Amino acid sequence: MVVTNVVKQQAPVGVDAETSKPFPSVAISLISLGAIMAVWFVVTNTGILGPKQLPTPQALVSRFLELIKDGYQGSSLMGHITTSLTRTLSGFVIGSVVGIVVGLVAGYNRVISAALSPIMSFIRPIPPIAFIPMAVLYFGLGETGKVILIAVTSFNYTVVNAQSGAAGVPIAYRRAAATLGVSKTQEFFKVIVPAALPSIFTGLKTALALSWAVVVAAELVGAQKGLGFLINQAALFFDIPTVFIGIILIGIIGLLLNLALSLLEKKLVHWRGRG
Amino acid sequence: MTTQPAAGASRLKEQGMSVTLPTQEKIVFSQVDKLFASPSKTGDQVRALVGLDLTVHKSEIVSIVGPTGCGKSTALNMVAGFDAPTNGSLRLDGKAIVKPGPDRAVVFQQAALFPWMNVLENITFGIKSRGVAKEQYMASAEKLIRAVGLNGFEKHFPYQISGGMQQRVQIARALISNPEVLLMDEPFGALDYQTRILMQQLLLELWREFKPTILFITHDVTEAIYISDRVIVMGARPGRVKLEVAVEEPKPRSLDFLTSELFTGLEHQILETVQHEATASHAAH
Ligand SMILES: Nc1ncnc2c1ncn2[C@@H]1O[C@H](COP(=O)(O)OP(=O)(O)OP(=O)(O)O)[C@@H](O)[C@H]1O
Ligand SMILES: [Mg+2]
Repeated sequence: MVVTNVVKQQAPVGVDAETSKPFPSVAISLISLGAIMAVWFVVTNTGILGPKQLPTPQALVSRFLELIKDGYQGSSLMGHITTSLTRTLSGFVIGSVVGIVVGLVAGYNRVISAALSPIMSFIRPIPPIAFIPMAVLYFGLGETGKVILIAVTSFNYTVVNAQSGAAGVPIAYRRAAATLGVSKTQEFFKVIVPAALPSIFTGLKTALALSWAVVVAAELVGAQKGLGFLINQAALFFDIPTVFIGIILIGIIGLLLNLALSLLEKKLVHWRGRG
Repeated sequence: MTTQPAAGASRLKEQGMSVTLPTQEKIVFSQVDKLFASPSKTGDQVRALVGLDLTVHKSEIVSIVGPTGCGKSTALNMVAGFDAPTNGSLRLDGKAIVKPGPDRAVVFQQAALFPWMNVLENITFGIKSRGVAKEQYMASAEKLIRAVGLNGFEKHFPYQISGGMQQRVQIARALISNPEVLLMDEPFGALDYQTRILMQQLLLELWREFKPTILFITHDVTEAIYISDRVIVMGARPGRVKLEVAVEEPKPRSLDFLTSELFTGLEHQILETVQHEATASHAAH
């Protein structure tokens, strides 16, 4: 037929245009990063800033190699990382699963929504860190308290987005489902849930970033292991390079966690913005 | 002198009417009002439709044209079961319409395909979830996909195909349940002229095969005349029927029909009323 040519799958905005520009964004970012490193190197090696304020890059690298070899306070560096990650991910998974399920149901069902919304709108503005003393009080300094704290944090942020996603499904989709004679259950799983996915992912990203922040905060209080414990402990002993290494690791891991979620999102919500 | 045979024939005709003749009433609006709550708290209710009388017969194609805001979508949405009349009665096969259902398929203007389902999944979603056996719905899907010219695109997602193809998917999705009524709200409104004509011809071909009752809303008077058995012109504020013309040209219709005297005559007549109504509705604002 004449007018049935397929619309070419568009490259994401920017990708095509990037390669043809004289200065691609990646190059600019690398130059900026290099400049920061150079300034750092100069400032610390010429004595403008002393090692008490800012360690030299070389000092950081050698301390890092040491930490890898010897560990820190009875645990390997990898041990500290996996401890923090395990706490975060277990709390995040529990909290998000419950949050998404409750949010979707509440977004779909008016009664549940009305019942939940006063509680939710009260809890939402409370910073998750404010719950740390309460978690310690109820569950002690052990793993349970930390995991529950992170689960609660994740729940708070996923439930809101899942609910708004399910409640905001375009009327056209719901009408189409109704005229197709689809059952309520089918409508929920095949229409409401996928339509809410973009919003769910927005919630998941916030929840994961906050969970990672909260685990570090929780580890500052009564923990024997983990990255939060590591930087807190190192600061007490004026071990500045270790503090910096801890912070850099926290940053990099946070970035990687977000990247992993973004990749999953791209795969599951490939149609995002093209509906 | 009495004309015995003629009277007998007319009596026979009366008796046979409801069962045998192709003019069986399918959709009947009688004195339908639709009022909407005012968008502002203090304002009056919006009188979208007042005293609408309209009958669509079985396997008939009826188009509604009229100025924007005259209640065309409102009328169609009530037949679909998305909305209920405020007053009056709206019946389908003599029964009140309570909710949407697969007996009344709807083709929306746009964005009603599920973007997370590919073409085949979109087409089969309804029939599949109603528990029809896989071999059965796959056979119907394949047949329809060929009929609307989508072969080879089964695995494409809606964002990977053109607007015209998306509308074909919607039509295939609507027809797969073999609906008795097809409700189309400006289904080709977003398409270019060439694609539009192809779609209109496709619709007539599909009609010949499935014989659904079609209620079709459009802004395009040419489109309305070309595909319809009857064209209804609605006026605005409040919405009601202003003109009703029959298009007595057998279907399928060739493109020559578009330039025939019958066509241009009807077009002139309809455009005059539409123009008048549009001006009136403008003045009322
Ligand atoms: N849900 C609603 N609430 C309030 N007013 C409404 C609602 N739906 C429609 N209306 C009003 O009812 C009138 C008829 O609307 P409708 O959408 O049926 O018009 P239409 O003939 O389909 O117009 P168009 O050609 O622009 O699609 C309009 O004045 C509109 O503003
Ligand atoms: Mg409309």
